[in-house]
Amino acid sequence: MTTSDDAVAVLSIQAPPATRRASPWRLALPVGLLAVPMLAFLTYFFFYPALGLLLSSIQTQDGRGIIGRPFTLAHYARLINVELYARVLWTTLRISIITSALATVLAYPVALVMVKSRPMVTRIITLIVIAPLIVSVVVRGYGWQLVLQNGPKGMLNWILMTLHIVDAPISVLYTEVAVVIGSLHVFFPMMVLPLASALSKIDPNLEDAARMLGAPWWKVFIRVTLPLSMPGFVAGFTLVFSLTAGSFVIPAILGGASAIMLGNLIEQQIFVVYDWPFGAAIAAVLVGLVLAVNGVSMWLLEGRRLRRPD
Amino acid sequence: MDERFSGFGAFILYTITAGMMLFILAPLLLVMAVSVSDSYFVTFPPQGFTLKWYAKVLQDRDFLEAMRLSILLALGTTAGSLLFGVPAAFALVRGKFFGLAAIKGFLLSPLIFPALVTGLALLQVLTKLGSQDARLNLLIGHVVVTSPYVIRTVVTSLQLVDENLEDAARTLGANRLRTFWRVTLPQIASGVAAGGLFAFMVSFDNYPVTMWLANSEYSPVPLVLMRQLVNVFDPSVPAMSTIIILMAMVGVLLLEKLVGLRRALAA
Repeated sequence: MTTSDDAVAVLSIQAPPATRRASPWRLALPVGLLAVPMLAFLTYFFFYPALGLLLSSIQTQDGRGIIGRPFTLAHYARLINVELYARVLWTTLRISIITSALATVLAYPVALVMVKSRPMVTRIITLIVIAPLIVSVVVRGYGWQLVLQNGPKGMLNWILMTLHIVDAPISVLYTEVAVVIGSLHVFFPMMVLPLASALSKIDPNLEDAARMLGAPWWKVFIRVTLPLSMPGFVAGFTLVFSLTAGSFVIPAILGGASAIMLGNLIEQQIFVVYDWPFGAAIAAVLVGLVLAVNGVSMWLLEGRRLRRPD
Repeated sequence: MDERFSGFGAFILYTITAGMMLFILAPLLLVMAVSVSDSYFVTFPPQGFTLKWYAKVLQDRDFLEAMRLSILLALGTTAGSLLFGVPAAFALVRGKFFGLAAIKGFLLSPLIFPALVTGLALLQVLTKLGSQDARLNLLIGHVVVTSPYVIRTVVTSLQLVDENLEDAARTLGANRLRTFWRVTLPQIASGVAAGGLFAFMVSFDNYPVTMWLANSEYSPVPLVLMRQLVNVFDPSVPAMSTIIILMAMVGVLLLEKLVGLRRALAA
């Protein structure tokens, strides 16, 4: 029985029975049943397919492309043992960790200014941080392609050469650096928002107290603000890491052949090589990685070590 | 400037913040600037001013077809995810049953699952089922990835509803449906609208699920744009991109009006 039913039951004791109309809705089923269509839909089109993919990753594909027995772990072994594929795994990890770390360092100042400034400044910063989130990733990747364009016609090179910072154009596009820059641009809001939310929940009196007792600004930040904003940091880091690790568009546009990530390898295995079990194994590793990071983050947020961000 | 920031610390904070704002805006502004460049190749700095690339884009059949498909798909996705998501959000907030937390986790799990893998897994199942209509497949895939957004925004706004008002309506003789329609829905309307708008935008921009389920006949905008990036080097690509940026800006302003951006996006 739901709370509103309880309340109605209590109230109806006082109300004269004659005024209550008999209604078919009185016999309505538990409100929990409203979740059933969504549950059924996701079970059939999300949960079941995901398990199916996991199953194919330990099966064998025959010459006609049919996937079945015998069961094997060979595809996972191949991902780890073949140097070409292992390198993609390491590249993915490296790019995801560097992007999340950079996002953290750069998001703290932005989130602090966002939370503690006058309403007008807060509004403008929020708009600038969030607006690009809704612009297609393909467009944002293309924007960076134009900025980082190798040769003297790229914006970055044009600026660097006009200001005589460099004499010859530098090559950033189609490297890991370009992928990190693009990923940082795409996922930066995912770090700023949880951080800002955590920072806004810190009692300003705590910081004032520290200041009044003589702590310099950096000490206030390290001893008071930083520890209290940890839930936001953990949530943001997890989001940025998971999203970067699973990206496809940014490495495809900005990474070229030198910064292939797991997502690009999966696409290649399915669409070019037609090796479904191997593609499924790479996907399973990617999912495992993302779930592991999310698990650790949930353990940190739910446990006694940190307070929840909301 | 707030008095809490002063001295060298404030200088660092404001410098980094200003730098990041520039970092965020630079590629988008560049795309927009190049889209009106009167040159046959995309170069920096942009030259002159022309709208001819927009004229070219608006006559491009592939792009217009993709636009039509993407808009219809996003509308269908919005309807689908609201239809499934709003009742589910209701159950999560109002229901009291065993395993509620686990079910909530399950319903929101497509948010943390790599979308690329969601799409691939779905492709495998749909292929086995023999479902060959790319439009239907795309619709299913998009509803899977957008419905958690709807559930999240509607759950948030339902938690703010004053249940006493509903009890009052019920006491005064309104049945459940009427109570929902006249009392609850007006209170969560902005949340539902924000969820729907979210679903529309996420569907319109989705690449990682779309890339598996589209085919050569039915390719939504992000896929067509990706193809053009590789094959076309004149400023018609920035023109297409600018159209997409402007559409997104309209979406952002609508969201801001409906619920406020921070609240719409807060996890």
